Amino acid sequence: MRLQPNPEKCTGCQICEAFCSFKKERAVWPARSRISVLKWEKEGVYIPFTCQQCERPLCQEACPVGAIGRCEATGALEVDSRRCLGCKMCVTACPFGGMAYDPDRGQAIKCDLCGGDPECVRMCPFGALTFIREEKYAQVKRREAARKLAGLLDLVGR
Amino acid sequence: MFRYKGYTGKYLEVDLSTGSVEVLPIDEALAEAFLGGSGFGTNLLWRRVPAAVDPLSPDNLLIFATGPLNGTLMPNSGRMEMISKSPLTGIYGDSNTGGFLGPELKFAGFDMVVIRGKAPEPVYLWIEDGKAEIRSAKHLWGKDTVETEDALVEELHDPGVKVACIGPAGENLVRYACIQATSSRSFGRTGGGAVMGSKNLKAMAVRGFGAVRIADPDGFYRVAVRCHEGIKSNEIYPAVHRYGTPGIVSLMNVIGRFPTKNFQLGGYADADKINAEALRAGFFVKDIACFGCPVACDKIYRVNEGEYAGTTVRSFEYETINAFGANILNPKLDAILKASDICDRLGLDSITTGRCISFVMELLDRGILTRAGVDGLDLTWGNVEAAMELVRRIAYRQGVGTLLAEGVRRAAKEIGKGAADYAMDVKGQEIAAQDGRAQQSMGLAHVTSSRGADHLKAFPTIDETGYPTEARRRYGDAYLPDMADPRSTKYKGFLVKDGEDYAAVVDSTGTCKSGGNFVLAQIYWDDVAEAVRYATGMDIDVVGLKAAGERIVNLQRAYNAIHGISRKDDTLPKRFIVEPNYQATPEGAVCRLHEMLDDYYRLRGWDREGLPTAETLRRLGLEDTIPRLESELAGRPSRSP
Ligand code: SF4
Ligand code: SF4
Repeated sequence: MRLQPNPEKCTGCQICEAFCSFKKERAVWPARSRISVLKWEKEGVYIPFTCQQCERPLCQEACPVGAIGRCEATGALEVDSRRCLGCKMCVTACPFGGMAYDPDRGQAIKCDLCGGDPECVRMCPFGALTFIREEKYAQVKRREAARKLAGLLDLVGR
Repeated sequence: MFRYKGYTGKYLEVDLSTGSVEVLPIDEALAEAFLGGSGFGTNLLWRRVPAAVDPLSPDNLLIFATGPLNGTLMPNSGRMEMISKSPLTGIYGDSNTGGFLGPELKFAGFDMVVIRGKAPEPVYLWIEDGKAEIRSAKHLWGKDTVETEDALVEELHDPGVKVACIGPAGENLVRYACIQATSSRSFGRTGGGAVMGSKNLKAMAVRGFGAVRIADPDGFYRVAVRCHEGIKSNEIYPAVHRYGTPGIVSLMNVIGRFPTKNFQLGGYADADKINAEALRAGFFVKDIACFGCPVACDKIYRVNEGEYAGTTVRSFEYETINAFGANILNPKLDAILKASDICDRLGLDSITTGRCISFVMELLDRGILTRAGVDGLDLTWGNVEAAMELVRRIAYRQGVGTLLAEGVRRAAKEIGKGAADYAMDVKGQEIAAQDGRAQQSMGLAHVTSSRGADHLKAFPTIDETGYPTEARRRYGDAYLPDMADPRSTKYKGFLVKDGEDYAAVVDSTGTCKSGGNFVLAQIYWDDVAEAVRYATGMDIDVVGLKAAGERIVNLQRAYNAIHGISRKDDTLPKRFIVEPNYQATPEGAVCRLHEMLDDYYRLRGWDREGLPTAETLRRLGLEDTIPRLESELAGRPSRSP
């Protein structure tokens, strides 16, 4: 499964951050949200960003105690809090900033896809986040590209 | 430890004269009685800014206050208040901004910032995670608001920094200078920008990484999700989301409530050139939202061709379209976008600025002013280029701009020759694009508002174009059909009172009126009471919340009363009372104010002069205010029973 952001639809409202942190921390706490909306205000570009659940997870490779494992059901990489040392190697290793660190608990934290029902996807009012099967991903992308192309042809045709 | 969640329990008290910055605890009793936001501000002005204080003196307070629902899961919880004695009206003043500033302040650990004194040199306030410091802003002085924000984000090395700042208009003490709040949102009304300028405070930059904690997470989550769902399924949600406030241009025009030519007319022949459809078709780039908002009424617009190509505007509202469109008979939408951008950058309230321009245009038309008297500017109706030039002169107080930097009321007094008849203000504040002749409740709302002319303190939307469904949902069948009829004065005192009490609570808890509370009329007393109770852990229900709303409104009235405000000031410009607006109704409507005003005073528990009675103040737990009110009012003309 894949958490797919659509920056074109994102309004920057941070509802995903508010609800994500609330689900995980029981407080509204964007700094601890597992998803972050990166903003370029001038350009109006908002990109919701979170863990990519990589096929070859550098976080997992970097972890010296094997605290990071993949959940069979959702495909999410999860941090085992009993093992995590808080050494932050995973945070350093991740090329995207997908892994974060909670100094209060002294542990790494990350998106775990909410066990298959991501809160951010559920609450995003604009459909800027979708949770789709990997196999469908390319199809969705192609459809969108085709729609844009159709619009273009229409324009040229006129 | 502060007892209640939802709050951070702390505020900043900054003295710019001495350079002191203190972190102080919020008083629990204050939170119980006044909630936050404008409630806190009202209480502070009453206690600490007496009538003798000049708004532009160091003794005035500049207050930024959030509320217990700011930065939470509640829909549209990004809104916060600025409160200060207004340099424009000389009485209670406040203004509200959307965006992200309020939540950021709470994440930084503060519910409120109280600023007093005057810095010897330009400074800015830098607030980060529980700490604050005053820093030099000499390098920022003279910069416009966009440049200031960019420079601060750069020097603080963090794109997440939220900035509130003033432009040249605030520095030059234009009485209606606004405070811009990241990004392109503004505390628009009542001249907070001039107060900032008078304190040599160029900006406030905020960054926080903390949490807003909630007393009952499960209960709070339920009500928040219910409100989000309610908004998204509201029948007018798609239109409000798609068009934002510009969506009402056509609607207002049809009902004759679209001020044209300085309120001489109630509709504009070229309205379809400046309506939401035209805007969307020609300039739309993207939907954007304030913190936590599922409505996203905000948009980015860009001008792609012509003279103004490259102009990009965010938070472009109905009011500005009217102010620089119909109000001055200008049908060019790209020019309106440009004018909006100029106002934002210079830091001016576009409503008042537009009204100053139409005022001058009318005076020229009527021969009260001559072209020589306006520095040779060709300020004829529709000349938007000349209007833009005037905007610049206002911000820099050059030539005729010096006169208009004072607002229409002061300018009219200076000009004389009957100019006052064309100054469209109440208590010195210019009237927004809401014609009280076409919608009776709106006229009443303008005069009862604590900050002078204002549609947002009571925000009557139910009778705007007649929404019987909303009226029924909120008030039951008893008040129909009159309640929803814009031309009827019946029950409008009640509508305005309820609206004001509710709005005072909304402004004090920190959510958006344009979102779920008024425009969609989706969230109401029950929802807010529940949300506040779960968020804070406070023992408060609808009755308690309503009392808080009334308490805030009454203390604002008491504050204005010690500044000499009474019934004589609760009045509209002559135009609204005697010049019919034929677009609104074939017979020609005027605002039948006094029928409604008596009714309103009675419902409020105020006397015939519009002053809160001792009994009312006691009922609201404001007995402390009675001696001062009585002593300050003694010597004034006697109060009728
Ligand atoms: S909730 Fe959706 S629209 Fe809002 S910031 Fe997140 S992804 Fe963007
Ligand atoms: S309704 Fe508009 S102004 Fe209000 S919070 Fe939402 S985006 Fe902001």
